[in-house]
This record gives sequence, C-alpha cells and structure tokens, in this order.
Amino acid sequence: MTPMFKKEDGADEIETIIGPSVQVEGNFVANGDIVIEGTVSGSIKTEKNLKVGAGAKIFAEISAANAVIAGEIQGNITIKDNLELTPTARLFGDVKTKILVVGSGAVLQGRCSAGEEKKSKLEKLESLDKTKNKEGKEKTTLPFES
Amino acid sequence: MHLYLYDSFLNDKKYTNLLARIETRLTDLGIGGKIYRLSPLRNLAELLADETRGGAQTVVVVGNDKTFSQVINVAAKYDVTMGLIPVGGENKIAQTLGLGNPFDACNTVAARIIEKVDLGKVNDTYFLTNIIVTGGRPMLECEGHYHLTPQTGDQVSICNLKPLFASNLGQINYFNPQDGYLEILVQPPRLGFWQSFNKSAVTQSIIPIKKLTIKGKNAISIITDGQKVLKPPVAVEVVPKKLKVIVGKGRLF
Repeated sequence: MTPMFKKEDGADEIETIIGPSVQVEGNFVANGDIVIEGTVSGSIKTEKNLKVGAGAKIFAEISAANAVIAGEIQGNITIKDNLELTPTARLFGDVKTKILVVGSGAVLQGRCSAGEEKKSKLEKLESLDKTKNKEGKEKTTLPFES
Repeated sequence: MHLYLYDSFLNDKKYTNLLARIETRLTDLGIGGKIYRLSPLRNLAELLADETRGGAQTVVVVGNDKTFSQVINVAAKYDVTMGLIPVGGENKIAQTLGLGNPFDACNTVAARIIEKVDLGKVNDTYFLTNIIVTGGRPMLECEGHYHLTPQTGDQVSICNLKPLFASNLGQINYFNPQDGYLEILVQPPRLGFWQSFNKSAVTQSIIPIKKLTIKGKNAISIITDGQKVLKPPVAVEVVPKKLKVIVGKGRLF
C-alpha cells in the first residue's frame, strides 16, 4: 500500500485509513489525509486530501482540500482545489469546488459549482483599492529612491 | 546512580553465566549499581519509591518485554530514565529501541542517548506498546466527536509502538512514539487463500487519536501490554513525552 498523495518535506500529519470493516458515525475531523473504504455518516473534515474507495459508502457533509471519489456519497461536498470523480463514483449532493474532473460513467446528481467564485462589484473595488494602497506604500518606502 | 531490576525468570540456572558476563561488562563500563531481583513478593512501587528517594536516576530493566512493561507502569510516576538489557525471548521493545544483544545494550546504556517517548494511559495504567480489545464488538468513542464500530471478529488494538502483527502499513510515520498520537488499528480476520492474492486492497483501518473511550458488553476484555485485563468502559489517552528512555542508534523512530 502506498500513500495516495505525495508528501511535502517535513509534513508530519498522519494518514487516516478507514477500512471496509469499520463504521464511523459523527463529526470526523483529521489533520492529515483520509482514505475511506468503509461506511461513514455525519461529517468529514480535513485540511488535506480525501480518497473515497470504490466500496465506500458515505452519508455525510464533506470538506477537504483535494478529493478523489470512487465510491458512493450522499451529502454535500466542498473541495478547496481539485475534485475528481472516477467512473465508479456515485455522488448525490451539491458540489462546490475549484477544479472538477468527471470520469465517464460517474453519477453526479445535485447542484454543481466549479471554478473561481464570481466576485461582486463591491469586492472587486475593495481588492483594487488594496492593490493600489500596496503599490503606494511600496513606492514611499523604497530606500534608494532619489 | 543506576538501579538494575532483574526479572524473576533470570533465577534459572541457564542465565547465571550470561548475567555474570553482563555484570562484568557493566562494571567495566563504570555503570554498575544496585541490583534487585523482582519476585511476586517484592513490591515494585515501594522499591522504586525508596530508591528514587535515595537518588536513583536510571532504572535498567534486565529481562524481556513483559518485565519492561511491568516496570514502566510504575516508573512512569517517577522522574527516572529507563534502560533495557534484553535477555530471554520476546524482546520486540528492545528492537524498537534499537538495542541489540545484551552486551550491545550495556554499551547503549553507557552511551546514554535519551529520548522522551509518549505513553498510553488506560484508566490509571500506563502502557508503552499497545492494548488489545478482545471478546466481542466494542464501540470506540473517539475524541468526543465520533464513534467507531468494527465488525465482529475484527482484531482491535490501540498502539503506541508498532505491533508485531501489523504489516504492509505503507507509511512509515505510523506508530511513532514521539508524535503525540496513539493509533487505533482494526484488522479483519485473516484473508482466505484466494483473497490473499489481492494484497493491494485496503483491509485494515488506522486512525491516529489522542483520546478515546472503549465501551461495550462485559464480555469484552482489554489487555494492556499483554499483562493487565480490564473491563469496559475504559478511558484511553496519550500522555506525550512521559517517559525518558535510553535508546540505541538503530531505533525505529
């Protein structure tokens, strides 16, 4: 068995593996990667990566940085970066992610929102103001400016 | 000052010569000290209390895993450094600590590389290696947030050091006694002949944890380091960096 995602140097979070014979109920929170092959109900949260195996059944709200789904999920998913649904994936719930990859044959039933979030006008103006302010400050603090 | 605790099985004649050579080696290295032979009649807690009061700072166990685990449970309550000279069978802890044969272990005790390691605590009992849950289908209430139910027949253990029966775990940073976590290890019954060919499939569960409660019917037994048997419910937690241990260069953590 090899780790599913490449580890960064110095990363000390431990991978959590929920095997096919185990049932988990409640709010499952982990610091490191999670691999699920069993049954989970409640919620799943990690700041790292999630892999759901083909035999897994999940009835939970999910939140993770990246996810590869091959099993069945009933619940909403929020993924920060990449979400990949393999051909065996069955997903019944709303999806929110940045990048979505769907394999042929995957089942996806629910509202789907992929890509960068659209900024409102007010947010755009605020971000523009911030960048202008930064530029202004940088100009005034240049040490060798004549 | 060093304190040497010999297990009672070393009273057997076949160990006399070996013990004499170990004692000579320790004297040569300049780390000789008081020697006590453990027996059912000797109260270990009182002995350690007296000796630590008298200035003993290093307690060296001469024996096997069972001896070491037995002494750790008491010694964890005192500010002492533990050492081990493995003699006899069942010396897996010595392997993990990077101790070779008894004479190499004497050198290791003299070299005095000290590491602080985590201990597990079940109710009031400390354990270094693992606890095993047998005899039924337990419910593990983890961190107060979720509970975990294995299937009947699964082997459930809560590990601090890598257990003997764990194999093909892939990632090396499991079972590190310095990470501040214990690991719940759930292993299904042994695979059948044909199933065993499909080695790539994930079959076992490994969940790092700091605190849990084991609940279940009274038929369930919880065995700490192969010694004490407890009945549910029991509270299990990790006590980080609780024990100072002398380790060898070849330690597995």
